[in-house]
Amino acid sequence: MLIAQKERMIDYAAEQVRRLKRLHEAFPRRNRYPRDPRFRSAIYDLEYVQIFSTLRDNRVDFLRDIYRTGGYIHFVKLLDSYYLGAKYLFIEVPENHEWWTRTLSRILIAGLVSGVFLTLLGIYLARLFVRPMRRSIELLDDFIQDTTHEINTPVHTILGNVEMIDPRNLSDRDRRRFERIAIAARSISTLYEDLKFLTLEQDRPLQEERIDLAQLLEERLEYFEILFRTKALRLHRDLVPTVLRADRRLIARLIDNLLSNAVKYNRRGGRIEVRLRPGVLEIVDTGVGMSPEEIEEIFERYHRFNDTEGGFGLGLDIVRRITEHYGMRIEVQSNKGEGTTMRVYFDAGETERREK
Amino acid sequence: MKPLLLSLFCAGTLSAVAGSFDRHCVPCHRKEGVSLRQTFMNALLIYSGEHNMKAGLKYFLYHPSIETSVMGRTYFRNHRLKKPSSLPEKEMDAALDEYWERYKVIGHLK
Repeated sequence: MLIAQKERMIDYAAEQVRRLKRLHEAFPRRNRYPRDPRFRSAIYDLEYVQIFSTLRDNRVDFLRDIYRTGGYIHFVKLLDSYYLGAKYLFIEVPENHEWWTRTLSRILIAGLVSGVFLTLLGIYLARLFVRPMRRSIELLDDFIQDTTHEINTPVHTILGNVEMIDPRNLSDRDRRRFERIAIAARSISTLYEDLKFLTLEQDRPLQEERIDLAQLLEERLEYFEILFRTKALRLHRDLVPTVLRADRRLIARLIDNLLSNAVKYNRRGGRIEVRLRPGVLEIVDTGVGMSPEEIEEIFERYHRFNDTEGGFGLGLDIVRRITEHYGMRIEVQSNKGEGTTMRVYFDAGETERREK
Repeated sequence: MKPLLLSLFCAGTLSAVAGSFDRHCVPCHRKEGVSLRQTFMNALLIYSGEHNMKAGLKYFLYHPSIETSVMGRTYFRNHRLKKPSSLPEKEMDAALDEYWERYKVIGHLK
């Protein structure tokens, strides 16, 4: 800023020197010190004695050529010929904030233009890159929605008929075949329920009720019993009767998905522990376990832990949605090769303990 | 006889009252026709400050030379260089003080 002012002040000083010269030649006939509306000035002799001054701020500095003082800028000109005895000529102008304003507005305008440009570019690029991804997700969602509609009737037909058959009337060979059919039917049913939850029941009004959680867990464990048997899993249950106010179908989906994963990723002959305490449901398996990085991703939709097991990778996404809906907290504790513990913490206000 | 004595007394008294500058500088400058004001302004142009000027003029008056004169070379086409002053230093200082006070610019600008 001083540099910008300096050029102007050099011109003022040159003009003032010419006036001092004329006054020197006419002194004392003329003795009015030359004044200019554009600036103020002062003259000092070789011995720093003030000869005359019209400065607003008389704090002068003989060692610098231009400086700021008290809201003014002083420019110092050293005279070659000491007109009126003056060696130092000080030119004073008010500090001009125009430069700051102009520079600041330029920076703001440039920043604004760059910001708008970069934002638009960012939006364009994001759309460009996200479009194929979004399209494939939409296609998958459409496919699942259509498929869900189509498999409703056959799934229920198979399950209905499976439940009507009494395996005790079958030969050993047929009973094994029947169990395989029953397992497959339950797997399809679980998958169907997940798909239905995500596609067809999103907008279904919730039916809040008092759920006997221990009883619901017993029902779901019974439903999965045939799957436990298939993998020769040992089930350990420790259920303290607890009441939770929520939508029964949502809580059933949450339990089914946690149990389904505990079975799916468990090793053959492993163990499943289900514990229920007021405020916390814990399902422990002795399966393959996960690394901390893998735990980060398990709640993402369509994420499958490995390709050897079936499914669309929807289970834990559903669990996440349900826990978020009810303000529950889910905790995953896992060690690679040792197993996984899933804990769902319920809000204390939502639970009731019923003493037997 | 009385009026003559009174006149001599008055002349002696005035001479003693007049300053060193008026006694030792003015008469010579008048005789040479050299303006003391012009000389002062020339000296100011070169020496700027009071002490600097007095020191410069003092040196010139005791050791006059065309090079150290404030009048410039053209002046000496028509004027001779003055002789070195024999004025005692105390009187010289007093004369220069009076010279400064009489012609100085400081305090006379408006």
